[in-house]
Amino acid sequence: MIILKTKILNKNDIGKLIIELSEDYNFYAPLKNENGILIFDKVFNIKDVILDYFNSKFPPKEILFPRTEELFKFKTDGKNIIEIINQPRTDIKNIIFGIRGCDAHAFNLMEKFFKSGNFQDDLFLIKKQNSILIGIGCNLPKSTCFCTSVGGDPFNKNYTDIFLSDLGDKYLFEIISDAGKKLLDKIEWLVDAKESDIKNAENLAKKSRTLFKQTLDLKDINTILDNQFNNTLWNSLTNNCIGCGNCAFICPTCTCFDVIDEFYPSKNIGRRIRVWDSCQFDIYTLHASGHNPRNNKIPRFRNRILHKFLYYPLNYGFLGCVGCGRCIQICPANNDLRNTLQALKLDKINKEKMEVKK
Amino acid sequence: MTTESENQEIQNKIRNIATELLNSKKVDVIIGYVNGTIPLDASIDFIWNSNQVNKLVWNNKCYLNLAKFLVSKEPQLQNPKDKKLNIGIITKGCIGRSLIQLYTENKIDFAQIKMIGINCNGIIDRNRIVKELGEVEILEINVIENDIVVKFMNLKGEELIKKFPFSEYLSRSCKNCKIKTPSSTNVPQSSCYGDFQNVSNVEDSFNDLNEFEKLNFNERFNYFEKMFKLCTNCYACREACPMCYCNLCFIDQNKPTWFGKTNNIYDIMAFHITRAIHLAGRCVDCGACSQSCPAGIDLNLITRKLQKIVKNRFGYTAGIDPKIKPPLTDFKLDDSEEFMLEE
Repeated sequence: MIILKTKILNKNDIGKLIIELSEDYNFYAPLKNENGILIFDKVFNIKDVILDYFNSKFPPKEILFPRTEELFKFKTDGKNIIEIINQPRTDIKNIIFGIRGCDAHAFNLMEKFFKSGNFQDDLFLIKKQNSILIGIGCNLPKSTCFCTSVGGDPFNKNYTDIFLSDLGDKYLFEIISDAGKKLLDKIEWLVDAKESDIKNAENLAKKSRTLFKQTLDLKDINTILDNQFNNTLWNSLTNNCIGCGNCAFICPTCTCFDVIDEFYPSKNIGRRIRVWDSCQFDIYTLHASGHNPRNNKIPRFRNRILHKFLYYPLNYGFLGCVGCGRCIQICPANNDLRNTLQALKLDKINKEKMEVKK
Repeated sequence: MTTESENQEIQNKIRNIATELLNSKKVDVIIGYVNGTIPLDASIDFIWNSNQVNKLVWNNKCYLNLAKFLVSKEPQLQNPKDKKLNIGIITKGCIGRSLIQLYTENKIDFAQIKMIGINCNGIIDRNRIVKELGEVEILEINVIENDIVVKFMNLKGEELIKKFPFSEYLSRSCKNCKIKTPSSTNVPQSSCYGDFQNVSNVEDSFNDLNEFEKLNFNERFNYFEKMFKLCTNCYACREACPMCYCNLCFIDQNKPTWFGKTNNIYDIMAFHITRAIHLAGRCVDCGACSQSCPAGIDLNLITRKLQKIVKNRFGYTAGIDPKIKPPLTDFKLDDSEEFMLEE
């Protein structure tokens, strides 16, 4: 990886940086909501910004892929649509400050997903193009983190434009992309980093990598999951699932949405919107006929696992998981993704042993 | 007796009765709590064999209501031979109430159910502990004597320990719980194993609602607005609730659409308030909704207010006696009708 430039940002200057960059950009950073939960939101007060954190409870996905998004408005004459008013494509520029490597990785997966196929999802892609991701190294991975097992790294700079490493009273400020370099023109006052600073940051990353409490062996996960569709093991793996949408809504890579038309007959106007959907919901994949191919929790749960760990590699060539561990933390019934993958793997190995014996 | 030894006693009782029920073939399967993989949670599993009984635990983190697994839309507990299963279920006070209430609504049949009654000693308010500890990673939660002992790691990587007094950090619904041991009033004795009590009347002052009731109309609206702004529409409250067993939830009705599903505050409020009204006189105060909410919204507060209204109006407490008909599914000629509009 080529680092274009290496600067130093003193912690005292963060306020100055935010104020200067907020002029041209919507500035998002980790902060606490009313219930004390760490989320990514627009910064209105510099004091709210929290850069010392494990990871946000909710991922920053919502900034570029809102829970509810208007696609277009329409007018009718009472019977037929007479006009469609497209959303004006504004070039709102965003800075997402203090994002973890895993969440930046997730934005990259979403971008690849929304770019693939015959139709491009401009709604997401334009916003992504206009966003600058300022990442921050993860000094202390949580016990549920497993990014190193899915091709990530606690100091994953690949998908960010600028990357920060916490050196105590200052941050190492590395410019990764051209967009990041352009942004640097606006904050010329940053001083150059010393050799020793770069060394310190490297040591920090090395140390962080040793702190992972687990590695999941996912190298051959697609061969493990292949032909598992009819495995009866799915039944017991789904036992404790209560069917809520937490795992999908908390997932930084989940992209499913439902399209809904809202119509106000009294005014003859309406709008088409999309809202987040979860594969665990009853009416997900419910056909107009009333038939639902995934009519209970077991195929729904199976779909979630196979989609991320089998269909993604088959269709796009990469895993649909960035290892943030949020779904493990959030599940009310503690249905642990790690256990699921482990159980499927063991099952496959045992079955192969039986085959050999025969 | 300390909370720690109570837990040990409850757990032993669960395991002993479970072994007996499975060995004597009185049940095919037992639904119970097992250890979770993260410190804040217990998990749930189905135990089919007495050699797995030692997986069953009791540890004050078992907040989900197991009755939900008997009324899930698509039966999860299926017998390959299509025979009706006999099910054992760990029954704390509120699960017992759920089962009785579900019976009055014709959703379950006691002939198929064996309840393993326990003297529940309450569930930890995990949302409050997480909030008070702030930005740390919780490594372990244990109940030692009468304290909740939390081992956590701060942002410097130091491992620290903090104690919280158990009685103070109980979840709100457990603090106000009046039926810790399940009721066996008019329940077939062949379904009751373990600890039960006879409950005929429940005195509840609903003191915990005082603060909420002091709010005037506008303040109350603002309170709802502030609270529901945090909702993510994941519907974990609905899925955790044993009384939410509709085949198609009103929020999922889309032919035509009944309610909006957007993150607009009025859509969210409409969902939660309509759901709460559906639970009037049915909610059994298990608090599973509040504990499973990822945004930490205390949803049980609204349903509890509705319980109070039903209690004051009809003298009814949900889930204590299967012979009493729930007031909102029944009528009496002398029911007060002061809300009827005159022509």
